[in-house]
Amino acid sequence: MDRRKFLRGFLLAPLAAFAAGEVTVIRNAKILTVTKGSFDGSILIRDGKIAEVGPTVTAPADARIIDAGGQYVMPGIIDCHSHIGTEAVNEGTVTVSSMTGIEDTVDPEAIGIYRALAGGVTTANILHGSANAIGGKNVVIKMRWGKGAPEILLEGATPGIKFALGENPKRRGGGDSGLGGRLRYPATRMGVEDVIREAFTDARAYKAAWDDYRTRAAKGERLIAPRRDLKLEPLVEVLEGKRHVHAHCYRADEILMLLRVADEFGFKIRTLQHVLEGYKVAKEIKEHGAGASTFSDWWSYKMEAFDAIPYNAALMHKKGVLVSLNSDDAEMMRHLNQEAAKTIRYGGLTDVEALALITINPARQLAIDNRVGSIEAGKDADLVIYDKHPLSNYAKVQKVFIDGEMYFDRDKDMSERAVKAARRRQLTEKQKAAAAPARPAGGGRRPQ
Amino acid sequence: MLLAAAGAIAHGQSGSPEIYAIQNATIHTASGPIISSGTIVVRNGLIESVGSGADVPAGAWTIDGKGLHVYPGLIDALSRWGLPPAADAPASRPAAAPTAARRGGGGDDSPSNVQFQDDGGPEERPSNTSWLKAADLVQPNDPALTAARNAGFTTAVVFPPTGIFAGQGSALNLGGGRAGDMVVSSPVGQFLSLSVRGFTSFPGSLLGSIAYVRQVYLDAAHYKSAKAMYTQNPRGLQRPAYDRALEGVLESPRLLLPASRKVEIDRMIRFGRELKNPFVLYGGSEAWRAADSLKAAGVPLLINLKWPERDRESDPDVVDSLRTLEIRENAPAGPAALAKAGVRFAFYSGGVERPADIRRAVKRAVDAGLANDDALRAMTLDAARIYGLDDRLGSLEPGKIANLFVTDGDWLAEKTAVKMVFVDGKKFEPAAGGQTNGPA
Amino acid sequence: MRVLGLLVAVAAFAADDSFVLRNVTIHPVTSASIPNGTLVVTDGKIAAFGARVAAPKSAKVIDGKGQHVYPGLIDSASNIGMAEVSSVRETSDLVELGDFNPQLRAVVAINPSSDHIPVTRGNGITTSLIYPGGGIIGGQAALVHLDGWTWEEMAIERNVTMQMRMPTLTTGTFSSTFGAGRRPFAETKRRYEERLKLLSDFFEQARAYQRRKAAGGAGFVLDRRLDAMLPILEGKASLMIFAPRERAVKDALAFGAKENVKIVLAGVREAGAAVKEIAEKRIPVILGETLELPLEEDSPYDSAFTLPAELHKAGVTFAFGTFSVQFARNLPFQAANAVAFGLPYEEALRAVTINAAKIWGVDSRIGSIEAGKWADLILTDGDPLEARSQVKQMWIQGRPVSLETRHTKLYDQFGKRPN
Repeated sequence: MDRRKFLRGFLLAPLAAFAAGEVTVIRNAKILTVTKGSFDGSILIRDGKIAEVGPTVTAPADARIIDAGGQYVMPGIIDCHSHIGTEAVNEGTVTVSSMTGIEDTVDPEAIGIYRALAGGVTTANILHGSANAIGGKNVVIKMRWGKGAPEILLEGATPGIKFALGENPKRRGGGDSGLGGRLRYPATRMGVEDVIREAFTDARAYKAAWDDYRTRAAKGERLIAPRRDLKLEPLVEVLEGKRHVHAHCYRADEILMLLRVADEFGFKIRTLQHVLEGYKVAKEIKEHGAGASTFSDWWSYKMEAFDAIPYNAALMHKKGVLVSLNSDDAEMMRHLNQEAAKTIRYGGLTDVEALALITINPARQLAIDNRVGSIEAGKDADLVIYDKHPLSNYAKVQKVFIDGEMYFDRDKDMSERAVKAARRRQLTEKQKAAAAPARPAGGGRRPQ
Repeated sequence: MLLAAAGAIAHGQSGSPEIYAIQNATIHTASGPIISSGTIVVRNGLIESVGSGADVPAGAWTIDGKGLHVYPGLIDALSRWGLPPAADAPASRPAAAPTAARRGGGGDDSPSNVQFQDDGGPEERPSNTSWLKAADLVQPNDPALTAARNAGFTTAVVFPPTGIFAGQGSALNLGGGRAGDMVVSSPVGQFLSLSVRGFTSFPGSLLGSIAYVRQVYLDAAHYKSAKAMYTQNPRGLQRPAYDRALEGVLESPRLLLPASRKVEIDRMIRFGRELKNPFVLYGGSEAWRAADSLKAAGVPLLINLKWPERDRESDPDVVDSLRTLEIRENAPAGPAALAKAGVRFAFYSGGVERPADIRRAVKRAVDAGLANDDALRAMTLDAARIYGLDDRLGSLEPGKIANLFVTDGDWLAEKTAVKMVFVDGKKFEPAAGGQTNGPA
Repeated sequence: MRVLGLLVAVAAFAADDSFVLRNVTIHPVTSASIPNGTLVVTDGKIAAFGARVAAPKSAKVIDGKGQHVYPGLIDSASNIGMAEVSSVRETSDLVELGDFNPQLRAVVAINPSSDHIPVTRGNGITTSLIYPGGGIIGGQAALVHLDGWTWEEMAIERNVTMQMRMPTLTTGTFSSTFGAGRRPFAETKRRYEERLKLLSDFFEQARAYQRRKAAGGAGFVLDRRLDAMLPILEGKASLMIFAPRERAVKDALAFGAKENVKIVLAGVREAGAAVKEIAEKRIPVILGETLELPLEEDSPYDSAFTLPAELHKAGVTFAFGTFSVQFARNLPFQAANAVAFGLPYEEALRAVTINAAKIWGVDSRIGSIEAGKWADLILTDGDPLEARSQVKQMWIQGRPVSLETRHTKLYDQFGKRPN
């Protein structure tokens, strides 16, 4: 086999692309379904979906068998807040950057995707940064390593948009704004509220202008159409309930502010992100119906994180809020299972409750729980095999499946390391030699 | 001696004869088979005839082409030649005044360094000089033009260099003289970069750049239809405000989008389609991986001849990523992969500073599997085709512009020298000895 | 609330530092675990422990049924107490101006009332090495107990090592205005060599000062900055050299050899070929944060996770550091993760207890459960390296220490908010 092709192949390709109609059975597994109990059994996968799961399954004779060797299988981890797999994160120059969207900058070859896979993550919400009160549009991706940009997007996921409250969006209003000596409104939490209200006031006017145009144009009136405004269109979608709002927030006051602004404009906040003081206003969050996606234990890295407590997830959960744990970090993303385990220490959640924080709960928050988030018949076969219970700090990911295809296999990863290293050495030497000053062979003219 | 008809050597600008005939030469037409011992006749700046038995008109200056090769003049498909750095965009600052006074109750007292919600976005057309045309900026006495011509180039498709909407390209013949005489076609396209210079003003990221370009093309479409309606009957309609940035966009027959890595090529194919304008990609360092995408999309690619290589200034202990190493290793194989897949592509000088080095760069693509003929077409006829100029440029065919160069051997061979260059039928000779491909 | 029931009753800093812990599984670390054992603490020290140990009749008895006792964990590099909210300059005393500040003492800037101290304690950490940063030589690090009314009471060793940062060759740049960039290698190398020269000159000055001082005489003038270097030059104290990448590690090794000083490598994130030399020279290593991304795109995804195992296999003595304020409490999970990726469990435990104590020269006092050592103990319901376990009680020098924190208080307070 051509070595180059071989390398290219293994660098960027799912390990085993299963043909349509093919059946795979993962047997001899300790199955943690998250929603339907835990038991020893098997999972039958057909056409990328979980066809059957139970102590026993009825497998056709020619099924591909994967023996889990008594290891643990759980649903693929879902990270509700990540910035991997994109070439850009923040359009921080404007107060409202809703015209931007991560879909435009998705990089399916970013190594972070592979690393996330190796940490058991199969789905992630890729958000715009938090420099603006209203940020850009997000995408939900699956870690289909080796596929192109459109193919890694989770089909049919509801579009969303990032908001951000507190210190980050107001940072450019004072001090070293990072804007070359200019200051950008807002400089306070009051201003953050104002920006959001102003933007939605504009969005309402924009919608009204189009409605008016359509009505009058339908009557045959001769009119120039309004200009399309890519900044306001996503906000109109928010008003119409067609786009989820994922709002970065820390303090209880700003959380409540946003919920009330949303109430006033008649839309819902889908998820509060970070929401480190969410435990203080869990009641209001629950009443509004927002989900809360928080850190396990980050605190004190800035002023607004000083009242953050690692009991936040457990406390909000106990108060009836739909809670998930996220990473917001390419490294932490690789051990969200360990982060979930901390909610047992901090707040006494059960194993199943802890696992739900990184599987079915984020799936519900992203409205993709019809597809992912638990091991149930009919759902996507997004599965992770761990050698130990995934809530143990000693567990490590062995294999990861997405849509029934194996995208990560630790044994394979290990065995390919030497080949990759050798190729890297070979090319490095070759290119170093080529970069050395040219010496024309015998009698040639010297470079001037 | 090359000139048989007379002892006097006519150079460039003055006293050029109107008719030349190069006889007994190997003629590489680019559009048809090689003519091993043929004659090509040039009259009044055009190719009059090409063939093995072409007649030599009376009064022609005949050139004995024995041992010589005649090629269509080379085209730099995306060039900066003729635009010295001083010609950089004069007006990339937002045209509109900030609307700071609108908010905050401060009225006119609002400090000028404060940016409010509606400031600085796409509406202000930052980093946009779409209306500039290379034809209006070119400096015919730029030494780069002479250097290029000496290396066999007769045409450069020159684009203004600065900004996201940098401006419009012009196909320029490298014959010098007045700028107007150099222009073959203008405008031929809008040069877009998505590069970001710092985070201080919009767009400050790739996210913003793409969103910005998208909004501008939507605005342009809106502007066009609004203007059309207004022109048809202004009565009762609000007058659309004049917008030079949109005028520039609408004037351009195609856009050039940056795409080097495969991810970028795929992204820009999707984006270009979304913009609903003809488009061409430029860059192509990972073209070796993207032939299928380009073929399926039917999108042409301009390939930068500055092949990626290890920076001599780089840290000797740092080992580059395998991804980077593979790009360097395989980039020159991109053209062969595209040729095999039937993707249209052309070469451009890119970061190759000296025109004389360009053919050596092309040679690397040939060494990596590209057929010599395909390489020639990528610098001549296919470049012309990509810009819709193949009715006048790019091959040695009767009726086309007499742009050609004459060498004493295969154009890509190391020791081959360029003996003469014809631009618009005017003959130029490089300095004594001719310009070889070898180290210069 | 889980911890308070036990602890509020035994108010912090109770005078009583003698007790008997019985019915408990004892994990001494330096010897085999003892199920159903008894541990006797007298006057803040471990008096005896074992399966059958006679308890003094008068002693207070604590029943540890179903529970485990371990030596308190040691973080070999943190900044707790020196910074409260790391992004707010006013709350941070980590970085002083100037390249060479060996005279600075971290210990005097440790805020005993910092909220980070109890928070960190909550996960079983009783001792932390707290270092200052900045410049090339940042100052003297202190080894402290995470308990005490004052920094004096906290201090185990006020000057346990000298923090130094190896000048590195880094071509990458980042600015908030222009983003990521790259400096030319030649320029970077020149700056790096200038920094190395500064360092070397400083040592030369210090030696010259050492000779002047030894010679004595009327002309001798005290230079506090250079004087602070003497313990290093005399081999009485170590230099804790921060060296993240292999190249810096090699530089640090060469520097240590050239200057003939005792070094501890810190913040090490890769060892590469230098691992052999580290082992041969018996140079201790304080591992950098190990829950980290690989250093290069092509590095194995688990390269940071496997580094502890790699060092162990090579025979290097190492300990874990968190190099952090807010993440200091995650020390045990760092160690556990190394176990998932090949480090024997016992070694992970040793790296946060006895090996750390040995590296800092305090193993006669802390780091294991041994008779005569201080009773720095934690009582847990399981493996202290596992996040799912709970730390139930803690003693520092035999004193029961509160596990109440800013976090448990807020949890209790807002848990009571009516729905």
